[in-house]
Amino acid sequence: MAVTVLDGPPNLAALYARAALTARGRGGALPDTHLARHGVPVDRDHLAAYARVCRLPLDDVLPATYPHMLTFPLQMALMTDRAFPLGLVGLVHVRNRIEVLRPVRADESLDLEVWAERFATHRSGATVDLCATATVGGAEVWRSRSTYLARGATAPDGAPEADVEVPVGALERTAATWRVPDDAGRRYAKVSGDVNPIHLSGLTAKALGFKRAIAHGMWVKARVLGALAGRLPEALEFDVQFKKPLFLPSTVTLSTAEVPGGWDVAVRNAGSGTEHVVGTIRTLEEKH
Amino acid sequence: MADSSKPATRKAAIVGGNRIPFARSNTAYAAASNQDMLTATIDGLVARFGLQGEQVGEVVAGAVLKHARDFNLTRESVLGSTLAATTPAYDVQQACGTGLEAAVLVANKIALGQIESGIAGGVDTTSDAPLAVGDDLRRVLISLNNAKTLGDRLKALAKIRPGQLVPDMPRNSEPRTGLAMGDHQAITAKEWEIGREEQDELAARSHQNMAAAYERGFFDDLVTPFLGLTRDNNLRPDSSVEKLAKLKPVFGTGEGATMTAGNSTPLTDGASAVLLASDEWAEAKGLPVLAHLVDAQTAAVDYVHGGEGLLMAPVYALPVLLARNGLTLQDFDFYEIHEAFASTVLSTMKAWEDPAFCKEKLGLDAPLGPIDRAKLNVNGSSLAAGHPFAATGGRIVASLAKMLHEAGPGKRGLISICAAGGQGVVAILES
Repeated sequence: MAVTVLDGPPNLAALYARAALTARGRGGALPDTHLARHGVPVDRDHLAAYARVCRLPLDDVLPATYPHMLTFPLQMALMTDRAFPLGLVGLVHVRNRIEVLRPVRADESLDLEVWAERFATHRSGATVDLCATATVGGAEVWRSRSTYLARGATAPDGAPEADVEVPVGALERTAATWRVPDDAGRRYAKVSGDVNPIHLSGLTAKALGFKRAIAHGMWVKARVLGALAGRLPEALEFDVQFKKPLFLPSTVTLSTAEVPGGWDVAVRNAGSGTEHVVGTIRTLEEKH
Repeated sequence: MADSSKPATRKAAIVGGNRIPFARSNTAYAAASNQDMLTATIDGLVARFGLQGEQVGEVVAGAVLKHARDFNLTRESVLGSTLAATTPAYDVQQACGTGLEAAVLVANKIALGQIESGIAGGVDTTSDAPLAVGDDLRRVLISLNNAKTLGDRLKALAKIRPGQLVPDMPRNSEPRTGLAMGDHQAITAKEWEIGREEQDELAARSHQNMAAAYERGFFDDLVTPFLGLTRDNNLRPDSSVEKLAKLKPVFGTGEGATMTAGNSTPLTDGASAVLLASDEWAEAKGLPVLAHLVDAQTAAVDYVHGGEGLLMAPVYALPVLLARNGLTLQDFDFYEIHEAFASTVLSTMKAWEDPAFCKEKLGLDAPLGPIDRAKLNVNGSSLAAGHPFAATGGRIVASLAKMLHEAGPGKRGLISICAAGGQGVVAILES
């Protein structure tokens, strides 16, 4: 395993450009590269902008989804590297699981590390997990696993089966209705740096095979978190499956159900009932 | 005939308080909304007293500068907090009197046995302040919204003029007089012949007292850090009369102008909350009783046509409160007179000492007399901490309750807060 430590955050727009230019000729096994950044402070202005765009309360504790803002650029750098077997264009985020081992404060500086693992077989292609961890003073405080699906791709022989399902219980009662405006993707892109063209406009989304621009899954996930502010355990596991794209603009509903140890959640289209996101939030019982 | 079904009133206990450090406008809390600050403050209070997931009788708070979307600010903050979502809440607004008035309202319900516990608070931001479109543009936009046809819409749009696009900035001025609060107070300061030096002395002492209080840890269980701030960032421990003397007057005009940025409170962002309860509730929870809220009185003056100073209402409220409680002005161990401006505190005290004023305006046989300055704002006040309008009352109630508790049983404190609109709230706390 090779760990490469970066001095600063990679430029996401440049990475997307590189991804587009180097899409062809990829293949082989996952690289065992780990990318890391050390002593990363939280920019409070950025945290405030993130809280505003995701409708999260602003305080001194990082929202469970926030460290992803810091690790995502590293994951992008990993995925756009020529050694990565799958082309970035066409990768679909299908699941994201975040574990907050303890509340992370905005004044703590984080050591971040990302890597890829679990190249797996999926009925419509292959999946790969982009993992991330954040530690403070050597102790892990946060980790995440983002599963991406590459349609039509083939996992290496002997690869495990993809694990993308997040089962939830019955979610019949609507807790909230959200009108998601057509600039939701652009607004989140501005804060997150995730300028994937499928989120930015109808035109750029069409070029990549979507009928309209789609909302960022991680933005929807963060909004769910905001809707449950004050009702969440301190150490938690928040696992979501991104099902059907949330086309912009849309009106969606949030359903929440309190279950032992946490919540089940679903975000669906208000008219058709199409499921965009389903997920579970549970008190984290630290596994040893 | 005695009505045995009516419960006797009881005095509400002050269990404790919490606030976030106050921040000068457009500094540490520039990106925080009223709801962010109030929620964080309530959560801090809840954490301090172990009330996570619990329902308290009521949460009462308010903000002076409030966005239209925040019509239910306190309830929204409760819903986002760690209190049980079944906790009722409502908003109050009495300008700078909001926080203390909220505490009085909660205390009264506790006194009547209608609730057993409650949280009183207040929050204000001058950074994330609401902007309104000008009245002309507002009318155009309403008619545009009501337009049924394209022609009607175009007609409505055609009424927009470039000058209308400048928003109405919220101003710290009185709607009826057009004067800033500081300009009003400058008139009062002149009338009462309040000198520049005594104002600067009061301001310097406020900073020094508050800095000393921080140093000895007085605020350790009253303040929770927020957005990287651990102390009020307006606080200048090295403030001195010499330094303050160098500042140019900002309110009033000409030779007699004495009010500077140093002896006036700055625009500030912040929030505070106080936990009140019945003695029984506090005991059952194993929580302390720092003091009781004994009584309170509000008053208002006609500063528009009646010739009284805008911030002089507490002067009128106090004798009513003293008479009802059989007390004199000297019967207190601590005095908390809100420092909207140093000259407000000084003109308030001067009025209480003035025989002619007390006789003619307050209808008293004898003046209320002087107070012992050594007992005044002993841990600093708004000139040092800053003054996020609605948050000041909660700051003072919690601090005074703690001071009384530290001083021992049977100690008495007086709070006096002046407010925009010519209003004032005074209250008595007792340990």
